[in-house]
Amino acid sequence: MLDVYKGLKVTTKLTSALFMTAMLGMSSQVIANEAETAQSIIKKAELAAYYAGNDGKSQARMLIVDSQDRKQMRQFTILKKDVKDGGDQKMLVFFSRPTDVSGMVFRVEKHNGQGQEDDRWLYLPGLDLVKRISAGDKRTSFVGSHFFYEDVSGRATSEDTFELVEQTDSAYILSAKPKDPSSVEFSRYRVSIDKKTFLPMEIRFFDAKDNETRRVESLEVETVQGFPTVTKSKVTDLVGGGYTLMEFRGIEYNLGLPDDLFTERSLRTPPLEWLRK
Amino acid sequence: MKLNRMVTSSALLVGLITLLSPLTVMPSYAADSQTKSSQSNNKDKKDSESVWDESMGDSWGDEWDEPKSFWQSFTGFAELSYGQRLQTDPLINDKQTLNEARLQVKNQWLLDSSTVNIRAHGFYDGVQSQWRGQIRELNWQGKVSDNWDLKVGQQVLTWGTGDYVFVNDLFAKDWQSFFAGRDDEYLKAPQLGIKASGYFDKFSVDLVYSPSFTADTYIDGSVFSYYNYQPGAMDVGQFEPSSPESAIRIKINQDQTEYAFYGYSGFEKSPLSARVIQGQEGQLNGFVPYFAPLNVIGASVRMPAAVGLFNAEVGHYNTSDSDGQNPLVSNDQWKVLVGYEQELMPNVTGSLQWLYEYILDREVGESNQQHRSTVTAQVRVTAIQNKLNVQFFNFYSPSDKDGYARVRVNYKITDTWQVSGGLNHFWGDQPDSFFGQFEDASNAFVSARFYF
Repeated sequence: MLDVYKGLKVTTKLTSALFMTAMLGMSSQVIANEAETAQSIIKKAELAAYYAGNDGKSQARMLIVDSQDRKQMRQFTILKKDVKDGGDQKMLVFFSRPTDVSGMVFRVEKHNGQGQEDDRWLYLPGLDLVKRISAGDKRTSFVGSHFFYEDVSGRATSEDTFELVEQTDSAYILSAKPKDPSSVEFSRYRVSIDKKTFLPMEIRFFDAKDNETRRVESLEVETVQGFPTVTKSKVTDLVGGGYTLMEFRGIEYNLGLPDDLFTERSLRTPPLEWLRK
Repeated sequence: MKLNRMVTSSALLVGLITLLSPLTVMPSYAADSQTKSSQSNNKDKKDSESVWDESMGDSWGDEWDEPKSFWQSFTGFAELSYGQRLQTDPLINDKQTLNEARLQVKNQWLLDSSTVNIRAHGFYDGVQSQWRGQIRELNWQGKVSDNWDLKVGQQVLTWGTGDYVFVNDLFAKDWQSFFAGRDDEYLKAPQLGIKASGYFDKFSVDLVYSPSFTADTYIDGSVFSYYNYQPGAMDVGQFEPSSPESAIRIKINQDQTEYAFYGYSGFEKSPLSARVIQGQEGQLNGFVPYFAPLNVIGASVRMPAAVGLFNAEVGHYNTSDSDGQNPLVSNDQWKVLVGYEQELMPNVTGSLQWLYEYILDREVGESNQQHRSTVTAQVRVTAIQNKLNVQFFNFYSPSDKDGYARVRVNYKITDTWQVSGGLNHFWGDQPDSFFGQFEDASNAFVSARFYF
């Protein structure tokens, strides 16, 4: 039981906006402007990928494939609410599969201020235990997948410096460098942002020797309630091998989720009215 | 004899697994030739989709679109465990400490705005040569108003801030399972009761009432021996009170800090006290175990500190022997716990706890020490995509000069198969110290679990 908690416990900082986008992301259709700068593009991408709508709900599943082609699966439902666009967020993740994690609930209070750690709790139903999780490296596996915790909660754009290096007809290509290289496993990444939706479509991470080590891709985008949303994404580990596919469905935005939903109450008594389809 | 028992439990497990396999809900993944990376993004996408489809079939929807019937929704696991002593115990003529085949099932019956939860396990205990079963959960849970939730029936209850150390959590625990190396889940024993939880703007309150006291599953000499001040075995269970017990917690969250206040009214959770048996003429005929009435009040705080989490908890134990006059009954006691946990490096977390117990009004001649301190250290390591988890937990009492080291390794081979192994090592100079008395209980264990 506690093992998954250990998995969740992992964690520190960066964002591949894809996960959240896919999760509940929405993107207000911002019309690309000729005069976009790297900073304005990445800010719009952050909002598109992580802050679409005031709140949202999605069902998700992950297929985790290791370098020897062994597969695992995770299935969960996510409820999310923005405290402030581009700022703090509240999130609940209800696990339903596999059996050993079924009934577990992960609660996050994301603090987007620089240097502020998120607050996280994990509910273990077998023990009726609400376990608070200490701050940790956000760039370690989220529940055993190739997605990092930071892919889920979002890497603050203030952690990196961005440069617009290329434009195609459909995408802005930005190069990013971490302000604190010792805090992360990459030395730079290259993110391709869709000009229409501002959703990050591909993020490629490189190490100090400039070898590509990790790739995050948006495989499918659908427009939900007017918000372009990543519904299928993939993370590939180009060093150790293996990848994780993630798919979302039942995405709904602006449900009017109440603030008091995001409390310990929902860990112990699952909010059926919001979890039902 | 032992061999026979092993064979019996193994055969049982194989039987259970065979029986359950068709019910397995996890999709069976088709073999595929997905490479870890592809040259072209398009090809990559195509491969991903085909893997997805092959692996998942079109089953994406089945769990939500067509909810399964109650009878199709049972999940759980079958497990085979074996453990044995690392030395002999002169009092218990059996090297085995764990030898069982277990089946645990779980289900939830969804009603309009509430649920009925069921979780039960049955197992053949090869150490005590008997079938055993336990309903861990059979309760109704729901919202009864905007502010109040109720959970009524058999349930597992936990609160407080310690890791394996409990100050204000006086809900039933199963120390035999803990010492034998069963899963952490079994450290908490179920109890029958009603829990009402009220959630308000500034605070929340939990009220728990159990109509009949539930003792811990304490070390009673059946599998592990303990130090007994008086010779002779005895069925201690018959002395367990049947009166109600109740508990309360008030919790206040302020920014990132969680404060809680606790109260408990019931009895000592194990027979720590004794009562005199008097003959007809008032002469001393002996002693019997006694679960002394107990009230506890306490408080706790948990908050981020430095780069980790800090917790502190205090509890005042008030027994029926408040003034310390009766040497057979536990005196009042203070318990103080301070803990800190932080990540040491990616995928490695460490924690330290210090527990101080101070016995009040101790009379000359009472054998137990007035001060007892215990330090715990824990390291948890997660590796191989979270499939491998290693936990090292050490209790050490500088005042009693004894300790207990616990190692547990868990490897998740697939979503359905999991193997575990570990060690429980007790040591101490004195045969009657808290951990020292269990020196002959030191054991190693292994288990294999199949989830369905």
